[in-house]
Amino acid sequence: MNVWEVFINDLSELREDEDLELSIRTLNPGIYKYTYKKVRARVSTSPEKYPDKLHVRFGRGQPHDHVYSIQVLEELNVIPEEYL
Amino acid sequence: MKGHRDNRTYVEDLERHGDLVRIKQEVDWDLEAGAIVRRVCELKAPAPLMERIKDYPGFRYLGAPIATYRRLAICMGMDPRSSVPDLAEEYLRRTTTEPIPPVVVDKKDAPCKQNILLGDEVDLCKLPAPLVHDGDGGRYIGTWHAVITESFEEGTVNWGLYRLMLYDSKLMAAAVFPFSDLGKAFLQRYEPQGRPMPFAAVIGPPPLAAVAASAPSPIPEPEFTGQLMGEPIELVKCETNDLLVPAHSEVVIEGVILPNVRLEEGPFGEYTGYRTSPRDKRLAFLVKAITFRDDAIVTISNMGVPTDEGQLLRSFSLGLELEKLLRSQGLPVTGVYMPPESTHHMMIVGVKPTYSNIATQIANLAFGSKLGPWFHMVVVVDDTIDIYNWDEVFHALCTRCHPVRGIRVYEHAVGTALYPFLNAHERKYAKGAQVLFDCTWPLDWDPLNEVPRLVSFRTVYPKEIQEKVLANWEAYGFPSE
Repeated sequence: MNVWEVFINDLSELREDEDLELSIRTLNPGIYKYTYKKVRARVSTSPEKYPDKLHVRFGRGQPHDHVYSIQVLEELNVIPEEYL
Repeated sequence: MKGHRDNRTYVEDLERHGDLVRIKQEVDWDLEAGAIVRRVCELKAPAPLMERIKDYPGFRYLGAPIATYRRLAICMGMDPRSSVPDLAEEYLRRTTTEPIPPVVVDKKDAPCKQNILLGDEVDLCKLPAPLVHDGDGGRYIGTWHAVITESFEEGTVNWGLYRLMLYDSKLMAAAVFPFSDLGKAFLQRYEPQGRPMPFAAVIGPPPLAAVAASAPSPIPEPEFTGQLMGEPIELVKCETNDLLVPAHSEVVIEGVILPNVRLEEGPFGEYTGYRTSPRDKRLAFLVKAITFRDDAIVTISNMGVPTDEGQLLRSFSLGLELEKLLRSQGLPVTGVYMPPESTHHMMIVGVKPTYSNIATQIANLAFGSKLGPWFHMVVVVDDTIDIYNWDEVFHALCTRCHPVRGIRVYEHAVGTALYPFLNAHERKYAKGAQVLFDCTWPLDWDPLNEVPRLVSFRTVYPKEIQEKVLANWEAYGFPSE
Protein backbone atom coordinates (compact mmCIF):
# COMPACT_ATOMS: atom_id res chain seq x y z
CA MET A 1 0.00 0.00 0.00
CA ASN A 2 1.18 3.45 -0.90
CA VAL A 3 0.46 6.59 1.03
CA TRP A 4 -0.21 9.79 -0.89
CA GLU A 5 -1.06 13.37 -0.09
CA VAL A 6 -2.93 16.02 -2.03
CA PHE A 7 -3.33 19.79 -1.59
CA ILE A 8 -6.75 21.24 -2.25
CA ASN A 9 -8.60 24.45 -1.53
CA ASP A 10 -11.98 22.83 -0.93
CA LEU A 11 -13.14 19.29 -0.24
CA SER A 12 -15.54 19.58 -3.17
CA GLU A 13 -12.50 19.17 -5.42
CA LEU A 14 -12.32 15.53 -4.32
CA ARG A 15 -15.42 14.20 -6.03
CA GLU A 16 -15.84 10.61 -4.95
CA ASP A 17 -15.61 7.75 -7.42
CA GLU A 18 -15.08 9.97 -10.44
CA ASP A 19 -12.00 10.11 -12.63
CA LEU A 20 -9.98 13.08 -11.38
CA GLU A 21 -6.70 14.62 -12.47
CA LEU A 22 -4.65 15.27 -9.37
CA SER A 23 -1.10 16.19 -8.41
CA ILE A 24 -0.30 13.89 -5.52
CA ARG A 25 2.88 13.45 -3.56
CA THR A 26 4.16 10.26 -2.01
CA LEU A 27 4.49 9.95 1.75
CA ASN A 28 6.28 6.62 1.46
CA PRO A 29 9.53 6.74 3.47
CA GLY A 30 12.85 7.25 1.71
CA ILE A 31 14.58 9.79 -0.43
CA TYR A 32 11.64 10.14 -2.81
CA LYS A 33 9.23 11.16 -0.07
CA TYR A 34 7.24 14.29 -1.01
CA THR A 35 7.91 13.99 -4.76
CA TYR A 36 4.91 14.49 -7.01
CA LYS A 37 3.10 12.63 -9.73
CA LYS A 38 0.29 13.94 -11.86
CA VAL A 39 -2.29 11.18 -12.08
CA ARG A 40 -5.75 10.18 -13.13
CA ALA A 41 -7.28 8.65 -10.06
CA ARG A 42 -10.41 7.87 -8.11
CA VAL A 43 -10.84 8.75 -4.47
CA SER A 44 -13.23 7.88 -1.69
CA THR A 45 -13.90 9.19 1.79
CA SER A 46 -14.01 5.55 2.81
CA PRO A 47 -10.45 4.73 3.91
CA GLU A 48 -10.76 1.13 2.72
CA LYS A 49 -12.49 1.46 -0.66
CA TYR A 50 -9.37 1.95 -2.77
CA PRO A 51 -5.95 0.34 -2.30
CA ASP A 52 -3.87 3.38 -1.30
CA LYS A 53 -4.23 5.98 1.44
CA LEU A 54 -4.70 9.64 0.59
CA HIS A 55 -3.97 12.36 3.12
CA VAL A 56 -5.43 15.78 2.43
CA ARG A 57 -4.07 19.26 3.11
CA PHE A 58 -5.63 22.62 2.43
CA GLY A 59 -4.19 25.63 0.64
CA ARG A 60 -1.98 26.90 3.44
CA GLY A 61 -0.77 23.45 4.44
CA GLN A 62 -3.36 22.73 7.13
CA PRO A 63 -3.94 18.95 7.42
CA HIS A 64 -7.47 17.56 7.10
CA ASP A 65 -8.18 15.11 9.88
CA HIS A 66 -9.86 12.51 7.64
CA VAL A 67 -7.82 10.11 5.51
CA TYR A 68 -9.29 9.16 2.12
CA SER A 69 -8.47 6.20 -0.07
CA ILE A 70 -7.24 6.47 -3.66
CA GLN A 71 -6.69 4.31 -6.69
CA VAL A 72 -4.18 5.62 -9.21
CA LEU A 73 -5.45 4.72 -12.67
CA GLU A 74 -2.78 6.33 -14.82
CA GLU A 75 0.31 8.50 -14.49
CA LEU A 76 0.18 11.60 -16.69
CA ASN A 77 3.09 13.43 -18.25
CA VAL A 78 3.71 16.94 -17.00
CA ILE A 79 6.47 17.62 -19.53
CA PRO A 80 5.77 17.89 -23.26
CA GLU A 81 7.32 15.05 -25.30
CA GLU A 82 9.76 17.41 -27.02
CA TYR A 83 11.59 17.99 -23.73
CA LEU A 84 11.77 14.35 -22.61
CA MET B 1 39.56 42.87 2.80
CA LYS B 2 39.02 39.72 0.78
CA GLY B 3 35.68 37.96 1.03
CA HIS B 4 35.26 34.29 1.87
CA ARG B 5 35.67 32.40 -1.35
CA ASP B 6 33.37 29.64 -0.15
CA ASN B 7 31.24 28.46 2.73
CA ARG B 8 34.09 26.43 4.17
CA THR B 9 36.29 29.41 4.98
CA TYR B 10 33.16 31.21 6.19
CA VAL B 11 32.33 28.31 8.53
CA GLU B 12 35.88 28.43 9.91
CA ASP B 13 35.50 32.15 10.54
CA LEU B 14 32.12 31.71 12.21
CA GLU B 15 33.62 29.04 14.45
CA ARG B 16 36.58 31.26 15.33
CA HIS B 17 34.14 33.96 16.45
CA GLY B 18 32.03 31.51 18.47
CA ASP B 19 29.12 31.83 16.07
CA LEU B 20 28.85 28.20 14.90
CA VAL B 21 27.59 24.98 16.45
CA ARG B 22 28.72 21.68 14.92
CA ILE B 23 25.95 19.10 15.24
CA LYS B 24 27.55 15.66 15.13
CA GLN B 25 24.47 13.50 15.66
CA GLU B 26 22.32 12.49 12.72
CA VAL B 27 19.70 15.03 11.73
CA ASP B 28 16.62 14.18 9.67
CA TRP B 29 16.09 16.23 6.50
CA ASP B 30 12.35 15.68 7.04
CA LEU B 31 11.47 18.61 9.34
CA GLU B 32 14.15 18.16 12.04
CA ALA B 33 16.77 20.26 10.23
CA GLY B 34 14.18 22.93 9.48
CA ALA B 35 13.04 23.03 13.09
CA ILE B 36 16.63 23.48 14.27
CA VAL B 37 17.18 26.39 11.89
CA ARG B 38 13.86 28.02 12.80
CA ARG B 39 14.70 27.93 16.51
CA VAL B 40 18.17 29.28 15.79
CA CYS B 41 16.58 32.23 14.01
CA GLU B 42 14.14 32.93 16.80
CA LEU B 43 16.87 32.76 19.48
CA LYS B 44 19.53 34.48 17.35
CA ALA B 45 21.67 31.46 18.21
CA PRO B 46 24.91 30.48 16.44
CA ALA B 47 24.64 29.01 12.96
CA PRO B 48 24.25 25.20 12.98
CA LEU B 49 26.53 23.06 10.82
CA MET B 50 24.79 19.68 10.62
CA GLU B 51 27.45 17.13 9.75
CA ARG B 52 25.34 13.95 9.41
CA ILE B 53 22.11 14.03 7.44
CA LYS B 54 19.79 11.02 7.43
CA ASP B 55 19.86 9.22 4.06
CA TYR B 56 22.55 11.57 2.72
CA PRO B 57 26.11 10.62 3.69
CA GLY B 58 28.60 13.02 2.15
CA PHE B 59 26.40 16.09 2.54
CA ARG B 60 26.13 18.67 5.30
CA TYR B 61 23.74 21.51 6.13
CA LEU B 62 24.63 25.06 7.12
CA GLY B 63 21.55 26.67 8.62
CA ALA B 64 20.76 30.35 9.09
CA PRO B 65 24.08 31.31 7.45
CA ILE B 66 23.60 35.10 7.68
CA ALA B 67 20.53 35.46 9.87
CA THR B 68 22.05 38.11 12.18
CA TYR B 69 23.87 41.40 11.71
CA ARG B 70 26.75 39.81 13.63
CA ARG B 71 27.11 37.11 11.00
CA LEU B 72 26.75 39.71 8.25
CA ALA B 73 29.68 41.57 9.80
CA ILE B 74 31.75 38.36 9.84
CA CYS B 75 30.70 37.67 6.26
CA MET B 76 31.88 41.15 5.28
CA GLY B 77 35.18 40.68 7.11
CA MET B 78 34.31 43.28 9.73
CA ASP B 79 34.37 43.32 13.52
CA PRO B 80 31.43 41.10 14.63
CA ARG B 81 30.40 43.89 17.02
CA SER B 82 29.96 46.37 14.17
CA SER B 83 26.83 48.46 14.47
CA VAL B 84 24.15 48.51 11.77
CA PRO B 85 25.15 52.06 10.70
CA ASP B 86 28.76 50.87 10.42
CA LEU B 87 27.68 47.92 8.27
CA ALA B 88 25.54 50.23 6.14
CA GLU B 89 28.38 52.70 5.65
CA GLU B 90 30.74 49.91 4.60
CA TYR B 91 28.17 48.40 2.22
CA LEU B 92 27.63 51.80 0.60
CA ARG B 93 31.37 52.40 0.37
CA ARG B 94 32.08 49.07 -1.31
CA THR B 95 29.13 49.16 -3.68
CA THR B 96 29.83 52.65 -4.95
CA THR B 97 33.36 51.78 -6.05
CA GLU B 98 34.21 50.59 -9.55
CA PRO B 99 32.57 47.21 -10.27
CA ILE B 100 35.04 44.32 -10.17
CA PRO B 101 34.55 41.89 -13.08
CA PRO B 102 34.71 38.16 -12.38
CA VAL B 103 37.42 35.85 -13.65
CA VAL B 104 36.69 32.57 -15.41
CA VAL B 105 38.66 29.55 -14.26
CA ASP B 106 39.23 26.11 -15.76
CA LYS B 107 37.02 23.25 -14.77
CA LYS B 108 39.96 21.55 -13.05
CA ASP B 109 40.25 24.53 -10.70
CA ALA B 110 36.55 24.58 -9.86
CA PRO B 111 35.66 22.58 -6.72
CA CYS B 112 31.98 22.56 -7.72
CA LYS B 113 32.95 20.09 -10.47
CA GLN B 114 34.26 17.41 -8.08
CA ASN B 115 31.13 15.32 -8.71
CA ILE B 116 29.17 15.51 -11.95
CA LEU B 117 25.82 13.84 -12.64
CA LEU B 118 24.58 13.82 -16.23
CA GLY B 119 21.87 12.02 -18.20
CA ASP B 120 20.20 9.18 -16.36
CA GLU B 121 22.33 9.84 -13.28
CA VAL B 122 20.54 13.12 -12.71
CA ASP B 123 18.20 12.77 -9.77
CA LEU B 124 17.29 15.70 -7.55
CA CYS B 125 16.48 13.29 -4.75
CA LYS B 126 20.17 12.49 -4.49
CA LEU B 127 20.44 15.97 -2.90
CA PRO B 128 19.33 16.46 0.71
CA ALA B 129 16.55 18.92 0.00
CA PRO B 130 14.90 19.55 3.38
CA LEU B 131 11.22 19.69 4.18
CA VAL B 132 11.67 23.02 5.91
CA HIS B 133 8.27 23.54 7.56
CA ASP B 134 5.44 21.08 8.23
CA GLY B 135 2.76 21.76 5.65
CA ASP B 136 5.10 23.09 2.97
CA GLY B 137 4.15 22.05 -0.52
CA GLY B 138 7.37 20.15 -0.97
CA ARG B 139 11.06 19.85 -0.24
CA TYR B 140 12.83 23.10 -0.96
CA ILE B 141 16.39 22.74 -2.22
CA GLY B 142 16.59 26.47 -2.88
CA THR B 143 16.16 28.64 0.20
CA TRP B 144 19.56 30.38 0.35
CA HIS B 145 21.03 30.21 -3.10
CA ALA B 146 21.17 31.96 -6.46
CA VAL B 147 19.25 31.20 -9.64
CA ILE B 148 21.46 32.29 -12.53
CA THR B 149 19.95 33.16 -15.89
CA GLU B 150 20.70 35.36 -18.88
CA SER B 151 18.33 37.40 -20.99
CA PHE B 152 19.17 36.52 -24.60
CA GLU B 153 18.23 39.89 -26.06
CA GLU B 154 20.02 42.15 -23.62
CA GLY B 155 22.67 39.59 -22.69
CA THR B 156 22.26 40.62 -19.09
CA VAL B 157 23.03 38.11 -16.39
CA ASN B 158 20.77 37.83 -13.38
CA TRP B 159 21.42 36.12 -10.07
CA GLY B 160 18.32 36.01 -7.92
CA LEU B 161 16.76 34.16 -5.03
CA TYR B 162 13.67 32.37 -6.26
CA ARG B 163 12.53 29.59 -3.96
CA LEU B 164 12.91 26.16 -5.57
CA MET B 165 10.68 23.21 -4.72
CA LEU B 166 11.43 19.65 -5.79
CA TYR B 167 8.56 18.36 -7.92
CA ASP B 168 10.15 15.04 -8.83
CA SER B 169 13.57 13.65 -9.68
CA LYS B 170 14.03 15.93 -12.69
CA LEU B 171 11.74 18.87 -12.08
CA MET B 172 11.63 21.85 -9.75
CA ALA B 173 8.93 24.50 -9.45
CA ALA B 174 9.72 28.09 -8.56
CA ALA B 175 7.84 31.16 -7.42
CA VAL B 176 8.89 33.85 -9.90
CA PHE B 177 6.89 37.06 -9.97
CA PRO B 178 6.30 38.78 -13.31
CA PHE B 179 7.91 42.05 -12.16
CA SER B 180 11.14 40.35 -11.05
CA ASP B 181 14.20 40.36 -13.31
CA LEU B 182 13.83 36.67 -14.09
CA GLY B 183 10.07 37.05 -14.52
CA LYS B 184 10.53 39.83 -17.05
CA ALA B 185 13.22 37.99 -19.01
CA PHE B 186 11.33 34.70 -19.17
CA LEU B 187 7.77 35.95 -19.61
CA GLN B 188 8.60 38.81 -21.99
CA ARG B 189 11.45 37.25 -23.99
CA TYR B 190 11.76 33.47 -23.86
CA GLU B 191 8.22 32.22 -23.42
CA PRO B 192 6.61 34.27 -26.21
CA GLN B 193 9.10 32.67 -28.61
CA GLY B 194 8.62 29.19 -27.14
CA ARG B 195 12.29 29.08 -26.11
CA PRO B 196 13.47 27.14 -23.06
CA MET B 197 15.57 29.40 -20.83
CA PRO B 198 18.85 27.97 -19.53
CA PHE B 199 19.36 28.26 -15.78
CA ALA B 200 21.84 27.28 -13.11
CA ALA B 201 20.70 27.08 -9.50
CA VAL B 202 23.63 27.49 -7.16
CA ILE B 203 23.07 26.06 -3.69
CA GLY B 204 25.64 27.26 -1.19
CA PRO B 205 27.31 29.97 -3.25
CA PRO B 206 30.12 32.00 -1.66
CA PRO B 207 28.41 33.96 1.17
CA LEU B 208 28.77 37.41 -0.40
CA ALA B 209 27.54 36.04 -3.73
CA ALA B 210 24.34 35.05 -1.94
CA VAL B 211 24.16 38.55 -0.45
CA ALA B 212 24.57 39.98 -3.96
CA ALA B 213 21.86 37.69 -5.32
CA SER B 214 19.45 38.93 -2.65
CA ALA B 215 20.34 42.61 -3.18
CA PRO B 216 18.24 44.63 -5.63
CA SER B 217 21.21 46.42 -7.18
CA PRO B 218 21.31 47.53 -10.81
CA ILE B 219 24.94 46.38 -10.98
CA PRO B 220 25.22 42.83 -12.44
CA GLU B 221 25.64 40.42 -9.57
CA PRO B 222 29.05 39.00 -10.60
CA GLU B 223 30.56 42.51 -10.56
CA PHE B 224 28.56 43.41 -7.47
CA THR B 225 29.92 40.35 -5.67
CA GLY B 226 33.42 41.48 -6.63
CA GLN B 227 32.72 44.87 -5.06
CA LEU B 228 31.50 43.26 -1.85
CA MET B 229 34.40 40.80 -1.76
CA GLY B 230 37.09 43.28 -2.73
CA GLU B 231 38.39 40.91 -5.39
CA PRO B 232 37.04 39.15 -8.48
CA ILE B 233 34.81 36.16 -7.90
CA GLU B 234 35.92 33.02 -9.74
CA LEU B 235 33.36 31.60 -12.16
CA VAL B 236 33.28 28.44 -14.22
CA LYS B 237 31.18 27.40 -17.20
CA CYS B 238 28.25 25.04 -16.72
CA GLU B 239 28.27 21.50 -18.12
CA THR B 240 25.14 21.82 -20.26
CA ASN B 241 24.88 25.52 -21.09
CA ASP B 242 27.06 28.63 -21.35
CA LEU B 243 26.11 30.17 -18.02
CA LEU B 244 28.89 30.92 -15.57
CA VAL B 245 28.57 29.90 -11.92
CA PRO B 246 30.74 30.56 -8.86
CA ALA B 247 33.52 27.95 -9.02
CA HIS B 248 33.55 27.47 -5.25
CA SER B 249 29.83 26.80 -4.94
CA GLU B 250 28.74 23.72 -3.07
CA VAL B 251 26.06 22.43 -5.46
CA VAL B 252 25.06 23.51 -8.97
CA ILE B 253 21.84 22.37 -10.64
CA GLU B 254 21.68 23.04 -14.39
CA GLY B 255 18.79 22.90 -16.79
CA VAL B 256 16.12 24.86 -18.62
CA ILE B 257 12.96 26.69 -17.62
CA LEU B 258 10.23 25.25 -19.83
CA PRO B 259 7.99 27.58 -21.80
CA ASN B 260 4.24 27.07 -21.45
CA VAL B 261 4.63 24.49 -18.71
CA ARG B 262 3.51 25.14 -15.14
CA LEU B 263 3.75 23.02 -12.02
CA GLU B 264 1.93 23.38 -8.74
CA GLU B 265 4.17 25.05 -6.19
CA GLY B 266 3.78 25.97 -2.54
CA PRO B 267 2.56 26.69 -0.03
CA PHE B 268 5.71 27.69 1.82
CA GLY B 269 6.60 29.48 5.04
CA GLU B 270 7.53 32.92 3.79
CA TYR B 271 9.62 35.92 4.77
CA THR B 272 6.58 37.76 6.12
CA GLY B 273 6.34 35.19 8.90
CA TYR B 274 3.26 33.55 7.42
CA ARG B 275 2.29 31.00 4.82
CA THR B 276 0.37 33.47 2.66
CA SER B 277 0.72 33.04 -1.08
CA PRO B 278 -1.62 30.49 -2.58
CA ARG B 279 -0.46 27.19 -3.96
CA ASP B 280 -0.44 27.95 -7.63
CA LYS B 281 0.86 26.84 -11.01
CA ARG B 282 4.35 28.25 -11.36
CA LEU B 283 7.43 27.99 -13.57
CA ALA B 284 8.86 24.53 -14.30
CA PHE B 285 12.63 23.97 -14.12
CA LEU B 286 13.80 20.82 -15.95
CA VAL B 287 17.14 19.58 -14.62
CA LYS B 288 19.86 18.30 -16.96
CA ALA B 289 22.95 18.17 -14.75
CA ILE B 290 23.96 18.32 -11.11
CA THR B 291 27.49 19.05 -9.94
CA PHE B 292 28.68 19.26 -6.35
CA ARG B 293 31.71 19.37 -4.11
CA ASP B 294 32.89 16.54 -1.91
CA ASP B 295 31.22 16.86 1.51
CA ALA B 296 28.96 19.50 0.04
CA ILE B 297 27.35 22.03 2.36
CA VAL B 298 23.71 22.70 1.50
CA THR B 299 22.61 26.05 2.87
CA ILE B 300 19.20 26.42 4.52
CA SER B 301 17.39 29.62 5.27
CA ASN B 302 14.23 29.02 7.25
CA MET B 303 11.81 31.84 6.58
CA GLY B 304 9.28 32.59 9.27
CA VAL B 305 8.86 35.18 12.01
CA PRO B 306 11.82 37.59 12.18
CA THR B 307 14.65 37.31 11.84
CA ASP B 308 16.14 35.21 9.10
CA GLU B 309 18.07 35.99 5.93
CA GLY B 310 14.88 36.77 4.03
CA GLN B 311 14.21 39.72 6.29
CA LEU B 312 17.61 40.78 7.54
CA LEU B 313 19.60 40.88 4.33
CA ARG B 314 16.78 41.93 2.10
CA SER B 315 15.91 44.77 4.50
CA PHE B 316 19.55 45.77 4.70
CA SER B 317 20.28 45.88 0.98
CA LEU B 318 16.85 47.06 -0.14
CA GLY B 319 17.02 50.05 2.21
CA LEU B 320 20.53 50.97 1.09
CA GLU B 321 19.75 50.60 -2.61
CA LEU B 322 16.76 52.91 -2.05
CA GLU B 323 19.09 55.34 -0.28
CA LYS B 324 21.31 55.36 -3.39
CA LEU B 325 18.24 56.01 -5.54
CA LEU B 326 17.12 58.98 -3.43
CA ARG B 327 20.63 60.45 -3.30
CA SER B 328 20.96 60.06 -7.08
CA GLN B 329 17.99 62.43 -7.38
CA GLY B 330 19.65 65.01 -5.16
CA LEU B 331 17.37 64.50 -2.19
CA PRO B 332 18.98 65.57 1.11
CA VAL B 333 18.46 62.24 2.86
CA THR B 334 20.52 61.48 5.92
CA GLY B 335 19.88 57.74 5.76
CA VAL B 336 17.45 54.95 4.95
CA TYR B 337 16.76 51.96 7.17
CA MET B 338 14.39 49.04 6.88
CA PRO B 339 13.98 47.24 10.20
CA PRO B 340 14.17 43.47 9.65
CA GLU B 341 11.26 43.11 12.09
CA SER B 342 9.12 44.90 9.49
CA THR B 343 9.99 42.08 7.07
CA HIS B 344 11.30 44.86 4.80
CA HIS B 345 7.84 46.33 4.52
CA MET B 346 8.73 49.62 6.23
CA MET B 347 11.23 52.08 4.79
CA ILE B 348 12.36 54.69 7.32
CA VAL B 349 13.92 57.74 5.71
CA GLY B 350 15.81 60.51 7.48
CA VAL B 351 15.86 63.81 5.60
CA LYS B 352 16.71 67.46 6.01
CA PRO B 353 13.29 68.92 5.18
CA THR B 354 14.43 71.84 3.06
CA TYR B 355 11.17 72.28 1.16
CA SER B 356 7.52 71.42 1.66
CA ASN B 357 6.15 67.99 0.81
CA ILE B 358 9.62 66.51 0.43
CA ALA B 359 8.26 63.36 2.09
CA THR B 360 5.78 62.94 -0.75
CA GLN B 361 8.56 63.24 -3.30
CA ILE B 362 10.54 60.58 -1.43
CA ALA B 363 7.59 58.20 -1.31
CA ASN B 364 6.72 58.77 -4.96
CA LEU B 365 10.28 57.92 -6.00
CA ALA B 366 10.55 54.88 -3.76
CA PHE B 367 7.13 53.44 -4.56
CA GLY B 368 7.54 54.23 -8.26
CA SER B 369 10.88 52.45 -8.57
CA LYS B 370 11.24 48.81 -9.61
CA LEU B 371 11.80 48.06 -5.92
CA GLY B 372 8.39 49.48 -4.97
CA PRO B 373 6.42 46.22 -4.95
CA TRP B 374 8.54 44.88 -2.09
CA PHE B 375 7.43 47.34 0.60
CA HIS B 376 4.34 49.32 1.36
CA MET B 377 5.13 51.73 4.19
CA VAL B 378 7.39 54.78 4.00
CA VAL B 379 8.06 56.70 7.19
CA VAL B 380 9.87 60.02 6.71
CA VAL B 381 11.45 61.68 9.75
CA ASP B 382 13.66 64.72 9.99
CA ASP B 383 17.39 64.61 10.61
CA THR B 384 17.00 64.99 14.40
CA ILE B 385 15.70 61.41 14.59
CA ASP B 386 18.05 58.43 14.68
CA ILE B 387 16.52 56.20 12.01
CA TYR B 388 18.19 53.13 13.56
CA ASN B 389 16.56 53.81 16.94
CA TRP B 390 13.05 52.38 16.79
CA ASP B 391 12.05 54.13 20.03
CA GLU B 392 12.78 57.51 18.46
CA VAL B 393 11.11 56.63 15.15
CA PHE B 394 8.03 55.25 16.88
CA HIS B 395 7.79 58.34 19.07
CA ALA B 396 8.01 60.58 16.01
CA LEU B 397 5.43 58.49 14.16
CA CYS B 398 2.98 58.69 17.04
CA THR B 399 3.46 62.40 17.77
CA ARG B 400 4.41 64.20 14.55
CA CYS B 401 2.39 62.44 11.87
CA HIS B 402 -0.98 64.14 11.43
CA PRO B 403 -3.70 61.48 11.13
CA VAL B 404 -5.07 63.17 8.01
CA ARG B 405 -2.52 65.57 6.54
CA GLY B 406 0.49 63.40 7.37
CA ILE B 407 -0.77 60.18 5.78
CA ARG B 408 -0.95 59.68 2.04
CA VAL B 409 -2.49 56.50 0.71
CA TYR B 410 -1.42 55.03 -2.61
CA GLU B 411 -4.14 52.85 -4.06
CA HIS B 412 -3.78 50.54 -7.06
CA ALA B 413 -0.11 49.83 -6.42
CA VAL B 414 1.84 46.81 -7.61
CA GLY B 415 1.94 44.22 -4.86
CA THR B 416 2.92 40.59 -4.42
CA ALA B 417 1.09 37.41 -3.58
CA LEU B 418 3.08 37.32 -0.36
CA TYR B 419 1.41 40.25 1.43
CA PRO B 420 -0.59 38.81 4.33
CA PHE B 421 -2.94 41.81 4.50
CA LEU B 422 -4.21 41.46 0.92
CA ASN B 423 -7.35 39.52 0.15
CA ALA B 424 -7.28 36.42 -2.04
CA HIS B 425 -8.15 38.30 -5.23
CA GLU B 426 -5.48 40.95 -4.60
CA ARG B 427 -2.87 38.28 -3.92
CA LYS B 428 -3.71 36.36 -7.07
CA TYR B 429 -3.38 39.44 -9.27
CA ALA B 430 -0.60 41.12 -7.23
CA LYS B 431 -2.67 44.21 -6.49
CA GLY B 432 -1.10 46.16 -3.66
CA ALA B 433 -1.55 49.38 -1.74
CA GLN B 434 1.01 51.66 -0.11
CA VAL B 435 1.13 54.41 2.47
CA LEU B 436 3.36 57.32 3.45
CA PHE B 437 3.67 58.56 7.03
CA ASP B 438 5.12 62.07 6.93
CA CYS B 439 6.65 62.73 10.36
CA THR B 440 8.38 65.99 9.48
CA TRP B 441 7.17 69.27 10.93
CA PRO B 442 5.45 71.44 8.31
CA LEU B 443 7.84 74.10 7.04
CA ASP B 444 5.11 76.75 7.15
CA TRP B 445 4.86 76.41 10.92
CA ASP B 446 6.57 79.15 12.91
CA PRO B 447 9.61 77.35 14.36
CA LEU B 448 9.50 79.47 17.52
CA ASN B 449 5.83 79.38 18.35
CA GLU B 450 4.29 76.43 16.51
CA VAL B 451 6.88 73.64 16.33
CA PRO B 452 6.78 71.75 19.64
CA ARG B 453 9.99 71.53 21.61
CA LEU B 454 11.31 68.00 22.21
CA VAL B 455 11.65 67.35 25.92
CA SER B 456 14.60 65.07 26.52
CA PHE B 457 17.78 65.03 28.56
CA ARG B 458 19.81 66.21 25.61
CA THR B 459 17.45 68.97 24.46
CA VAL B 460 16.10 70.82 27.52
CA TYR B 461 19.05 71.06 29.92
CA PRO B 462 22.01 73.42 29.65
CA LYS B 463 25.19 71.76 28.49
CA GLU B 464 26.92 72.32 31.84
CA ILE B 465 24.09 70.60 33.73
CA GLN B 466 24.19 67.64 31.35
CA GLU B 467 27.94 67.31 31.82
CA LYS B 468 27.66 67.57 35.58
CA VAL B 469 24.98 64.89 35.77
CA LEU B 470 26.94 62.58 33.48
CA ALA B 471 30.16 63.14 35.43
CA ASN B 472 28.41 62.32 38.72
CA TRP B 473 26.26 59.48 37.45
CA GLU B 474 28.09 56.73 39.30
CA ALA B 475 28.60 58.95 42.33
CA TYR B 476 24.81 59.29 42.56
CA GLY B 477 24.74 55.49 42.91
CA PHE B 478 23.74 54.44 39.40
CA PRO B 479 25.60 51.57 37.72
CA SER B 480 28.07 52.64 35.04
CA GLU B 481 26.65 52.66 31.49
